[in-house]
Amino acid sequence: MSSVTMAKAINTSLRDALRKNPKTLIFGEDVGPLGGVFRITDGLQKEFGEDRVFDTPLAESAIIGISVGLALKGFRPVPEIQFDGFIYPAFDQIVSHVAKYRNRSGVPLPITIRVPFGGNIGAVEHHSESPEAYFAHTAGLKVVTPATPGDAYGLLQSAIEDDDPVVFFEPKSRYYLKEEIDLPSAAVPIGKAKISREGSQVSVIAYGPTVETALQAARSAEQEGISLEVIDLRSLSPLDTETVLASVRKTHRAVVVHEAPVFGGFGAEIAARISHDAFDVLEAPVARVAGLNIPYPPARFEKLYLPDADRILQAVDAALAYG
Amino acid sequence: MAEETFRLPDLGEGLTDAQLVSWRVQEGSTVEVNAPLCEVETAKAVVVIPSPFRGTVRSLHAKPGESVAVGAPLVTITASSDAPADTERTLVGYGPGGPESGVRRRARSVPGAAADNAGDVRAAPFVRQLAREKGVDLATVTGTGPGGRITRADVEGAAVGEGSVSAPASASAAADGDQRISVVGIRKAIARQMVRSVSTIPQFTEFAIFDATRLLAARAKAKASGRPLTPLPYFVAAVVRAVREYPLLNSSWDDTTDEIVVKRAINVGLAVNTKNGLLVPVLKGAGSMDTNAIAERATHLIEGARAGSLGPGEMSGGTITVTNVGASGPVETGTPIINPPECCVVAFGAIRPRPMVVEGQVVARESAWISVSVDHRIVDGALATEFLTRLVSDLERTDA
Amino acid sequence: MADSAQVVREQDPVRSVLRADGSLAGDPRRALGLTPEGFVDLYRKMVSIRRADQEALNLQRQGELGLWGQFLGQEAAHVGATMALEPTDWIFPSYREFGMAMCRGIDPATMLTVFRGLTHGAWDPRKFHFAPLAIPVATQVPHAVGFAMGSRLEGSGEVVLVTFGDGATSAGDWHEAMNFAGVFKAPVIFLCQNNYWAISVPLPRQTAGRIADRAAGYGFPGIRIDGNDVLAVFAATRAAAERARRGDGPYLIEAQTYRMGAHTSSDDPTRYRTAAELEAWSSKDPIARYERWLRAEGLLDQAGVDGIGKEAESTAEKMRTRLREAPAPDPGKAMFDRVYSRPSPGFQQEREEFESSLESPG
Repeated sequence: MSSVTMAKAINTSLRDALRKNPKTLIFGEDVGPLGGVFRITDGLQKEFGEDRVFDTPLAESAIIGISVGLALKGFRPVPEIQFDGFIYPAFDQIVSHVAKYRNRSGVPLPITIRVPFGGNIGAVEHHSESPEAYFAHTAGLKVVTPATPGDAYGLLQSAIEDDDPVVFFEPKSRYYLKEEIDLPSAAVPIGKAKISREGSQVSVIAYGPTVETALQAARSAEQEGISLEVIDLRSLSPLDTETVLASVRKTHRAVVVHEAPVFGGFGAEIAARISHDAFDVLEAPVARVAGLNIPYPPARFEKLYLPDADRILQAVDAALAYG
Repeated sequence: MAEETFRLPDLGEGLTDAQLVSWRVQEGSTVEVNAPLCEVETAKAVVVIPSPFRGTVRSLHAKPGESVAVGAPLVTITASSDAPADTERTLVGYGPGGPESGVRRRARSVPGAAADNAGDVRAAPFVRQLAREKGVDLATVTGTGPGGRITRADVEGAAVGEGSVSAPASASAAADGDQRISVVGIRKAIARQMVRSVSTIPQFTEFAIFDATRLLAARAKAKASGRPLTPLPYFVAAVVRAVREYPLLNSSWDDTTDEIVVKRAINVGLAVNTKNGLLVPVLKGAGSMDTNAIAERATHLIEGARAGSLGPGEMSGGTITVTNVGASGPVETGTPIINPPECCVVAFGAIRPRPMVVEGQVVARESAWISVSVDHRIVDGALATEFLTRLVSDLERTDA
Repeated sequence: MADSAQVVREQDPVRSVLRADGSLAGDPRRALGLTPEGFVDLYRKMVSIRRADQEALNLQRQGELGLWGQFLGQEAAHVGATMALEPTDWIFPSYREFGMAMCRGIDPATMLTVFRGLTHGAWDPRKFHFAPLAIPVATQVPHAVGFAMGSRLEGSGEVVLVTFGDGATSAGDWHEAMNFAGVFKAPVIFLCQNNYWAISVPLPRQTAGRIADRAAGYGFPGIRIDGNDVLAVFAATRAAAERARRGDGPYLIEAQTYRMGAHTSSDDPTRYRTAAELEAWSSKDPIARYERWLRAEGLLDQAGVDGIGKEAESTAEKMRTRLREAPAPDPGKAMFDRVYSRPSPGFQQEREEFESSLESPG
């Protein structure tokens, strides 16, 4: 066991994927000699050469577009989009082709699109966004996000081995979060949520960067004698509704947490599922604690925008007091 | 002159720490604004940090090779007076693990939804489901939750005829002189529960008399040792023992699946007459209690029921009910009605001397009636008889 | 039509003021129409923006800015291009054009509040004819073309300059905008500050062709110039602006320069480039070179140099003080005020809930 950061776990996972399958390719902006702006691909070009790990021109649409072609030719592309806010030029390729190619042709596209996402790093505009709902909304894509180093390793292995395209969102504010693990860590299947902490009174459903925030809330709640169950979705699409519903059937109350704006955010899907499939057990409306319905604010204000333990506890209080 | 502590900023968007590579100053050095202070290595790059102050270096807070957390003190400088005073905090680069905003806090009170739809019944889905199960009409329940919302406790209270139903029964005189009494609250709950019982449960009653001589002797002995007990704990304890032998009596009929649900827990409902009407607090987990524990718990429940101080959890969840008949007056026994969804109710009459035949002779013996009503869907006459027989022989054998 | 690029090249007024190597043709003192003070002013501005740029990096290292992207080495492009335009001509910057903003009169301390995380936009673009920073690469290029199309439609006479780096020329937005500009004959100057590095990716890995040559494919001329020669930048920009103002359409200027600093304060250039390369470009430093020329021409002496240095020092100091004293705006205002022109009742309610949550005691 050693203390491993999420950045290191992802780096190791990529390295192992390159070792396991000679068809695995990694490319994107600055992933080569620099090792990526977050150093996630550090050392990979040196070890595997410029043919398998390479810098591309600065053009996200083409980075994803060539991934389609490479996948058709039999490669397993693992393109990197440098920042969440830079994925939009590639939106057309992802939505029109990556997601739908199989449906159109029967040919699988084993592409894993890595995207650092989320805020809380004091960055300038376009570097703190949470665009996961756009992609979860698109059938044909799988959308996953780890919350811990161990899950990051295992989930990325599953994503790269998957024959369908996966958008792999990396919670960049947790890149330096450490966990005592051995690498390689266990495989994490896509589509399986995890109970990060057991509890009985309110289910707090989170993913990516907000799992740690939910756990903080659960620790404070415990001191007040309130028991929160924290669910880490890990996979937004496919969604593990079974785990969510089982928890809500136990607690009768649910709070969904994410950084993306609440309006039309992924929490709406969770809330709708619970409201429909567990309607009769609800003792309070499903609450969403999420980003405000505004553009991601300047860094000075991001802590007021992002969900924090206090806001989660406030929603918990309201759920418990409801009736 | 002012002491200024410079804390390590987040030098590269989301970093949590940095390793000190080397100092470019020593304690006692004088520095100008922007003079190099030290070199640090982050996860992203090696960078030189320039001094934000002019002054004299007072103390260095880290050694080369050491890791410094973002926001931790790096260097303290006795600054010349022209330096801005307020520089304790790192301004922008606080990192993801940095201090909480300290501004937006958890609200002290929970924003309650206003009762804007005053005419509508406001209750969560679970509460509505519970009301359906318990046969409670939500329109008659006054909600005690935020915004007048009907809570789970309100429904549970209403189901046993307690709780939030505070409106008094009002009476009005009709033109023909008959009096019409509007039925609300506990009366209504009892009415509903009794209708449900006789209209859904085909039930019959069997009777027996038992010799209470030994029970009274046991009581006397307990009293002498400072534990005065009413007969009730002995009755409950005997019922529990009988139920263990005949678990079908501790069950309920599931209409939706036509199954018998035999309950694992033995939770004994105790019918208590209160000034507001009949209440049935529940002695939970009776199966694992001895007579003394039952006595203690029963006292709390009965007093609580009369004082109206019991919580909803203490008024629901019964699996079998025990009641008393004729504690005063000449009544010997009655035909108790089952408290749905239970299968069985046991009524005990008053203990008093009666003529009994003992060894061929008619003698006066302390004795009492027991009547047992059961759900005929679950229990036939033969089983009811076995259960009642077991109860009688148990009570007649009561040891001190 | 096959040779239309060649045709425009022959009539190219920009090409005529520069030699093949990108340096200025003829005597700049006559050709550029600048007064002696005008020549010195270009120097003053380069010195001033360089000093402010250095100060901004210091402020980032001191935790006063979240991020800083230096433009060290690109001062000639910033100053030469901006000063060649009319003040009413519009500039569409990317995110490294702090120097251009200073030349346009935007208070540097105010501008730095963007990097201090206080605001996404610190000035009114309409007041300074200077668009907001555009951080996603190349996204501002179509905006500039649209503005120029509007200027042509209205006959209002403004010329538009859009600036970007070599990396931007890979992006679809850039090509689409270039094509529109050619089709609609928009009065727009595309100024590529080719500083050789797009973060860690060097020019040969960015494009296999010459950037200046791209213009021909879209039906208008392009030229490669020495981007570290402030007079060359000035001359080319002015000629392209005059041409555009006459209604002759767009022009692409590829100003070859070099990013002497890191991409941003988060970057580590030692991972991808050599000290020798940096050394070679140091000798082409735009300020040192221009200072030599001014001295040789007798337009500047040591006292002038010292005075300008002091002035830059004082500007930087003032910027530092003013930035540190810049009050943090009210969160509700900063976050909600500019989202909608007419906020919906629902949006207003969200704002009120947010603001009241700030007031409630813990």
